[in-house]
Amino acid sequence: MKKIKYTLLISALFAMTAFSFACASEDSSEASSSGGSSTLQQVLDRGMLKCGVNDNLAGFGVVAADGSFSGFDIDFCKAVAAAILGDSSKVEYTPTTASNRFEALGSGEIDLLIRNTTWTASRDRELKQDFTAPTFYDGQGMMVYVDSGYNSIDDMEGATICVLQGTTTELNLDDRFTGTGMSYTPLTFETNDPLQAAFEEKRCDGWTTDKSGLASKRASFPASAGGPEALKVLPETLSKEPLGPLTRDNDSEFYDVVQWVVFGMMQAEESGINSSNVSSIASNPPNPGVARLLGASFEGGEVQDFSFGIPKDFMQKVISQVGNYGEVYDRHLVPLGLERAGSLNAMWTEGGLIYAPPFR
Amino acid sequence: MKSFVDSVVQWSRFQRNRNIVIQAVFLFFVTLLGVYFFVRASGLELSLSHFSSRAGFGLSHTFLVDYTSNDSRWVAYFTGVVNTIRVCLVAIFLTTLLGTVMGVARLSKNFLTSKIAWTYVEVLRNTPLLIQIIFWQIVFLQLPQISEAITFGDTTAISNRGILLPWISDNGNAQIWFIFLGIVAAGSLYLSYFLNKREDVSGKSFSIFGNRLNGNLVGISLFVIVTIVTYFAFGRPVSMDIPEIAQNNKGTWMQSGGFDLSPEFAAILFALVIYTGTFITEIVRGSIQSLSKGQTEAAQAIGLSKYQAMTLVILPQALRSIIPPLTNQFLNLTKNSSLAVVIAYPDLFMVSRTIMNNSGHALPVFFLILLTYLFLSLCISLVMNLINRRVTRIGA
Repeated sequence: MKKIKYTLLISALFAMTAFSFACASEDSSEASSSGGSSTLQQVLDRGMLKCGVNDNLAGFGVVAADGSFSGFDIDFCKAVAAAILGDSSKVEYTPTTASNRFEALGSGEIDLLIRNTTWTASRDRELKQDFTAPTFYDGQGMMVYVDSGYNSIDDMEGATICVLQGTTTELNLDDRFTGTGMSYTPLTFETNDPLQAAFEEKRCDGWTTDKSGLASKRASFPASAGGPEALKVLPETLSKEPLGPLTRDNDSEFYDVVQWVVFGMMQAEESGINSSNVSSIASNPPNPGVARLLGASFEGGEVQDFSFGIPKDFMQKVISQVGNYGEVYDRHLVPLGLERAGSLNAMWTEGGLIYAPPFR
Repeated sequence: MKSFVDSVVQWSRFQRNRNIVIQAVFLFFVTLLGVYFFVRASGLELSLSHFSSRAGFGLSHTFLVDYTSNDSRWVAYFTGVVNTIRVCLVAIFLTTLLGTVMGVARLSKNFLTSKIAWTYVEVLRNTPLLIQIIFWQIVFLQLPQISEAITFGDTTAISNRGILLPWISDNGNAQIWFIFLGIVAAGSLYLSYFLNKREDVSGKSFSIFGNRLNGNLVGISLFVIVTIVTYFAFGRPVSMDIPEIAQNNKGTWMQSGGFDLSPEFAAILFALVIYTGTFITEIVRGSIQSLSKGQTEAAQAIGLSKYQAMTLVILPQALRSIIPPLTNQFLNLTKNSSLAVVIAYPDLFMVSRTIMNNSGHALPVFFLILLTYLFLSLCISLVMNLINRRVTRIGA
């Protein structure tokens, strides 16, 4: 009996020691992950990109019955995987919620967060995360029932508004109502499903989130609750919401890759390169600019190397496997009714904000 | 002269001495680990200074706290704490009633009664609480929409925006009046207690014009009479607050007045009461069954009715083994109330999550949440331990 006790004590001691060593090794891995290039290197070593996404926003990120993900944000995950690993299918998607997404990125559970996330000063600075480039210029809107008779948010004195927790949306909503001296009741949900259930039963008079999100929720509104025709999005825009991918702070090599993949897709559209013509253009680039973008040789000259730490022809893979910015937009957002012409998401040459710095 | 090694060997021959060494080594490693964590933690940002900045978000339930989005995050947090305490207090009260009734019913000789209680326990104890909460949310959303609200003679309105009940509103002196009534209630209770005790001890009963009066009746009548008299003496301090629903000029349905039982509060309350009630049912049943059968038989033998046997003999004894596990259930209920976040009830967890998201300082807020739940749990433990001491006192 005494012997057993003795053994127990000894094994407890060993466990403690092992635990403290485990802590120490965790410490060192953390140190390496916060230093410089490691995320890019980790993705290369792993052969898989871990992408945090939305799994429940039609057009931006949805998971199908067979477990496959699709959407506008998903395509940017694919594009980054194509650029780094040469294969757009090498992505491991992690569904995140509005409130756990930053922790998922900060803790290293995911490499990259592309989940309709708004670029704000406090998130950029205080959350120690970096926004790469806006992929979509959104703005907060308000969706109401057509039969409510509301034509503007000014009509909504005393209304109950359904809103998602942990977003700038909640704060913009309060600014809009209390700023104009109107009373309202916010009903703050953590996830979309109970929110939609409440809205369908008219527990709330309005539903506020980014207009893109409203368009997608409206498009998929169930016929049992009246279908898309029962709803309208009020014309007013409450806020600026530039959405884009995020990486961890001080992770500049990976950050640069993500940023320039996004810019490359925009530049490709501007240069008229798309998934069907990219291989023929790459074999015979019409001008040095296109050659630099595609990492191809112009009339037998030297191939420009931007030293991203990935193959020079990464944009060829991105465009052939995923497409240029316009193709991705048309594939996922036009079906929702988010027209591009005349919006902020048009090319800069057409009066929009989609503008890529030069590849040189 | 013995060498040093010899003396160590000699010393280590005693089990007691070896134990000292082992414990010292163990303590050393624990201290090392403690120092390691302390050093790691001391490098972290743990200040809560951002709590004094403007909250900037609205809350749907502001019970007893006059919260607006212009207040600081502390006020928002406090509103959340009050919402948690509110749902927990009501739920603890109701779940104890439900559990006791069901626990007794479970042992009933009546087939239907005992099977109903059995089904209640087996079905609801074995499904996840989160699912029950969402179930109740959906149930309450199925109430009529506000444009088709059910009203009962303009005093009660039921819709999925809330169940509005008539309530009382303050006309100015209500607070003083309530304090006064509290004192009167305590006095009446003491009077009843005193009269009953005197009757038990000396057999003297309180009587007016030769009519013998029960001590409880005297206390209750005193309280009712004083309440009515002072209601007028204080210049009608409270009046009925009749709820009203109407459309404003833009067509928005507005609720005003009365007591608003919102579907979110009702859903979390129902879920907590019914789920925790299953465990309390089993605690009550087990404690009653642990009593010797002779207790019931003896109670019957001296001519007590079944109800009297239960309330005078069985439950008071069962209480001794009920209270400690009951405390656990109350603690579980309090901690489970944090699941309210999924159905938009702004409890302390939901409010602090919002603050965390707005400020980005996750760690200090998490510590604050932990400390708050710890404080609430310790308060419950304290009260329950006092009650436990009272019921387990020999000769009480």
